[in-house]
Amino acid sequence: MFVHNFKYSLKTLFRNKTLIFWTFAFPIILGTFFNMAFSNIENSEKLDIINIAIVNNENFDKNEILKEAFKELSDENNEDRLFNTKYVNIDEAKALLSDGDITGYLNIVEEQPKVTITTNGINETVFKFVTEEIMQQTGIVNDIATEQIKNEMISGNINIDYKKIYKDAFEIAQNQEAKIENISSNNLSYTMIEFYTLIAMACLYGGMLGMTAINQNLANMSSNGKRISVSPTNKAKVILSSVLASYITALIGLAILFIYTIVALKVDYGNNSPLIILLSCIGSLAGLTMGMAIATCLKASENTKTGIVISITMLGCFLSGMMGITMKYIVDKNIPIINKVNPANMITDGFYSLYYYETLERYFFNIISLLIFSIIMIFLSYISLRRQRYESL
Amino acid sequence: MIIDVKNLTKKYKELTAINDLSFNVKEGEILGLLGPNGSGKSTTINCILSLLKYNKGSIKIFGKEIKPDSYDIKAKIGVVFQDVAVFEELTVYENIDYFCGLYIKDKNTKKKYVEDAIELVGLGEFKKFRPKQLSGGLLRRLNIACGIAHKPKLIFLDEPTVAVDPQSRNNILDGIKKLRDNGATIVYTTHYMEEVEILCDRIIILDKGKILAEGTSDELKKKAKIEERITVEINNLEEKYIKEIKKKENVDDVKYDANILFVTYKKGKNNLLELMDYLKSENINFNKIYSERPTLNDVFLELTGKELRD
Repeated sequence: MFVHNFKYSLKTLFRNKTLIFWTFAFPIILGTFFNMAFSNIENSEKLDIINIAIVNNENFDKNEILKEAFKELSDENNEDRLFNTKYVNIDEAKALLSDGDITGYLNIVEEQPKVTITTNGINETVFKFVTEEIMQQTGIVNDIATEQIKNEMISGNINIDYKKIYKDAFEIAQNQEAKIENISSNNLSYTMIEFYTLIAMACLYGGMLGMTAINQNLANMSSNGKRISVSPTNKAKVILSSVLASYITALIGLAILFIYTIVALKVDYGNNSPLIILLSCIGSLAGLTMGMAIATCLKASENTKTGIVISITMLGCFLSGMMGITMKYIVDKNIPIINKVNPANMITDGFYSLYYYETLERYFFNIISLLIFSIIMIFLSYISLRRQRYESL
Repeated sequence: MIIDVKNLTKKYKELTAINDLSFNVKEGEILGLLGPNGSGKSTTINCILSLLKYNKGSIKIFGKEIKPDSYDIKAKIGVVFQDVAVFEELTVYENIDYFCGLYIKDKNTKKKYVEDAIELVGLGEFKKFRPKQLSGGLLRRLNIACGIAHKPKLIFLDEPTVAVDPQSRNNILDGIKKLRDNGATIVYTTHYMEEVEILCDRIIILDKGKILAEGTSDELKKKAKIEERITVEINNLEEKYIKEIKKKENVDDVKYDANILFVTYKKGKNNLLELMDYLKSENINFNKIYSERPTLNDVFLELTGKELRD
């Protein structure tokens, strides 16, 4: 019976034109558009060095970390050079900005760096993003240095070399967290972010497959479900075989998407194929289980539920940077909890971490988050699915 | 006894859909559940099939209480629901094969059963058609084939002929007779009284979740206070003649509408001849004239004050 139901579930899924469009064709079409729209922008943006100014006042002079970081990022000999920095006073900075000679300027007021820009664009976002990152590093460096100074004092050393301690702390912080060098043009690869969110979207569209698996088998969802419910079949077996068929369909869709983007669109996903496959499989599971939970927990028509799955998927992808990386940045900075519970962001961030980080800590954090998300969705589905009889049909 | 329902009560919040219903179904008979829309026919079937929770009562099928996991009982049951339950993505053959496969494991047996079901409902030419390529009548036939392909001993047919053309209806009714002849016990719900009169050995008339009457077609008709209805086509009949006819012996009621005269009689023989004689004696010209026995609709009308299809 399991094989019989599995075989026919696959047949019905592959012959369902609406499902096939959303799970197979739509991501491919969208990917093609992304490739056409973003590849040229990225090539031109990568070569740009951003003109900025820093107000060279006493506050800036005291901030060794900021000084070092911007010096490094503006070094002409540095391959990853990001900025062309002018050190000026506040009036000169304002004049340069109003003349359009610089993207923005940095001024440290009462130890708080303030980035002033006049428009919102890619260069402005990069400038703000990098400054924020450096300030995060500053916090870490200060903590490490303070700890080191304490240790020196406890051990009775009265000739403390503060400059060396801060320099060492800076190096430690660089190794612990994202390297400042890495927050350069690579970090803002629009095309890659778009493709990560595209895969996240394809994974979450598996929700429609999960929803179909549930709808077709439950008496309170469809006429077919009623007919299956009165047959001498174990409900769990029927649902499990249908869900498995849905999952395999979703994975085939993802595989086609990967092959298409790699072969036809020349997308480079890096060298971590097993980890990429693992993340895709778990991401797809999250999408599938989300669809199951929506199908079982909400009392609405099938069309309404499909609309909800599509809406959640698109909103999740939007917040994780599908329509512009700035959104991911804004959400991460201002309402980080949203991206912590957003499965699209978990998938996107998982890919992102594979591409940009040397350690797998962040990658596995996302994998575990997706698994927890899936377990919660399965639990929610189970509560409704365990019902044997219904109040009404 | 194949089905034994005792004191079944089902409530939807304040609404009592089934009210203390008790009945049974004997082996090999066709029981008709007759009632207007909303009378509780489908709810009764859904409770019997263990799809719906109910508030009170007991339901036994093949002598055992049925539960959602009573797979041994379910294996002997076939259901044709009111809504067409087929997969749009599968062909006629695949749909029947899929649903039959939920009951029959042996491939060869299943194949034979599927072919038999296709033959029974007359869909041989349409095996490779998808449901959306079928007419409403053919779709209903497919719906029936999916429900009965596994040759169940007990079959529930819930309004299987709704919105079906006459040709398909005849085909469906013939198919049901064949199922009965093959030994199946059938519970047939409908609001078409003609169908229950043709098909059913016993009829239960339901309204508002209660049994109003139960018996064979003849037994039920005896419950009607009229014995005969005569319909006559007469142009421009004067009021004085209508009053005269009303005064005649055994006449229950007289109505004249759109040049048609309806006369109902409480009892008596030769009512038709007497009426014809009267009309001739008064030199009243008439076209068609015919006599009918009371229908189940008359019984229902008397019991509830409304028509079956209201």
